[in-house]
Amino acid sequence: MKINPIYRQESRGSARSFRLPLIVLGFNCVLAVAALLNMYSVIAQVRLTAELQYSSFLEMYVFVASVEFVLLLLLIPAITAGSISGERERQTLDLMLTTRVGAADIVFGKLLSGLSTVFLLIVSSFPILGLVFIYGGVTVADILLLLLCYVVTALFVGSMGIFCSAVSARSTVATVSAYCLTAAVCAGSVAVFVLSDSFTEMTSAPGSGGASWVGLLLLCNPAATFQAVLDGQLGPGYGLAAAFPWLETVLAGHGRLWWISGIVVQLLLSAAMLAGAVRSVAPRSSKKRGQRRLPPQGRNNFR
Amino acid sequence: MLRIEKLTKTFGRTVALDGMDMHVEQGALYGFVGPNGAGKTTTIKTVIGLLAADSGRVLVSGIDVAEEPGRVMARIGYMPDTFGIYDNLKVAEYMDFFAACYGISGLKARERCRMLLEQVGLDDKADFYVEGLSRGMKQRLCLARALIHNPPLLIMDEPTAGLDPRTRYEFKEILKELCRQGKTVLISSHILPELAEICTDIGIIDQGKMVYEGSMDEILSQINVSSPLLISVAGDRRPALEILRSHPEVDTITIRDEDIMVGFRGDKRDEITLLQRLVDAEVQVYGFSRERGNLESVFMQITDHDSGEVVLRHEN
Repeated sequence: MKINPIYRQESRGSARSFRLPLIVLGFNCVLAVAALLNMYSVIAQVRLTAELQYSSFLEMYVFVASVEFVLLLLLIPAITAGSISGERERQTLDLMLTTRVGAADIVFGKLLSGLSTVFLLIVSSFPILGLVFIYGGVTVADILLLLLCYVVTALFVGSMGIFCSAVSARSTVATVSAYCLTAAVCAGSVAVFVLSDSFTEMTSAPGSGGASWVGLLLLCNPAATFQAVLDGQLGPGYGLAAAFPWLETVLAGHGRLWWISGIVVQLLLSAAMLAGAVRSVAPRSSKKRGQRRLPPQGRNNFR
Repeated sequence: MLRIEKLTKTFGRTVALDGMDMHVEQGALYGFVGPNGAGKTTTIKTVIGLLAADSGRVLVSGIDVAEEPGRVMARIGYMPDTFGIYDNLKVAEYMDFFAACYGISGLKARERCRMLLEQVGLDDKADFYVEGLSRGMKQRLCLARALIHNPPLLIMDEPTAGLDPRTRYEFKEILKELCRQGKTVLISSHILPELAEICTDIGIIDQGKMVYEGSMDEILSQINVSSPLLISVAGDRRPALEILRSHPEVDTITIRDEDIMVGFRGDKRDEITLLQRLVDAEVQVYGFSRERGNLESVFMQITDHDSGEVVLRHEN
């Protein structure tokens, strides 16, 4: 099996630099500190009241999982946004486009490289998430579902980063755009929903207004999907829902359907953004942009 | 090997290429020159498939770039005016990466990389990081990279810019060797004396059009004909001037110190006859030669828009 040359080159470069070990170390340090502090507070409460609430350990799981989710949202744009614009700045993108490698290979190689870094972060954080197994309450299937949610979030936010990188000439612009887009999707959709909900409540008869169709906007919000996953595992009232009770209203009664729909919508949006990135990177001469078929490499008869 | 027919390309209101024609023979070392903004880079980018032309055709070995860009790319090695390197890779890894980009891998790729690095004199630098190489070495590495898939046509944009004279000489020798091996090389450059030295053919582009195209021998012979004849005479100049005034091939006569500059249309045979007449008339001639013209002066004349006319035209 031939490995995508872009992915191989990126992996070689990142494995050689200090950046990746530093990111992994920092990421896990933050998670470990969050988990241990939470655990310490639970134990301290037990010592004080001689009363053990097992729900506290579930709160620790939610807290660590939420911290990891937020860290991923913050890191993924930084990891992916400079990938293609960086090639433009180095003036190596045109060189790659004159080879057998097509625009699609470049985009997917870059995405794969960014995602492999994110997967490394996710997998390396499992021992910390696994602390919850000491007391029980969360199954391996729950952790795997959480992993799926992280992977889809990584793919979705990573695709946004790659798209911004493909359409921007400079890495700085691409990074800022990727963060703005992530914020718009995560916070903007919430803002639109809250405003729309308030407007509906003001204009309609009491009791008739609930979550309107605008609530469907939240399907493209990875944070809402994350909350739906936690809701399915632990029941309502945990995680983001504790801070935003209206979110519980939206998700009420839709638990599994919501997160499955959210994942499908986000995968479709990822595909659309990757297609846009391929179109943006492809040379202007190709009739089928993004695809470049070359004949198999013949015998080298260079003297 | 490369044929461009009536190529046009506009960017907004700017006409970059205006019916551009070009013909590069198999095995030629073709110098592609023109003032800044004349359309050289646009032409090159269209040939290598990075830009689409508005109209016209680009054929490489008879294959249309617009129809089959993949097949054309397999036949072209491109070396841009920038290095395009990854500083965190070693020389061998850099070559290996581009070999993989062309679908060459394993032992075949390693063998090919070793051979090319040896050819450009970087075989002892294979384990060095690219960022540690000198400018000349980076340029040679880029040349090796452009040849990784053994293309019959090599396109180079300003390959010797910023190189010291020795490296430049070595680079020229490598290019000559490539031509001896049957490769066709197209060089876009501003260093005209160098092109005159190594190129077999030349094309001059101005305002998106090819204003002169032909073999280097042709252009050099035209340079000689268009240069004035310089005659140095001791003693009385009047007999010499009388002979020159009566000669049908003489256009202009200018006195400069002890020399007479003659605008002379004749060829070598006419020059011999003129010299013979001067000697027979006992004119004390101690110098008789064409003033040395060069490619630069021709380039200046051709691309001088103020004069309103092109002094040299290619005649088929």
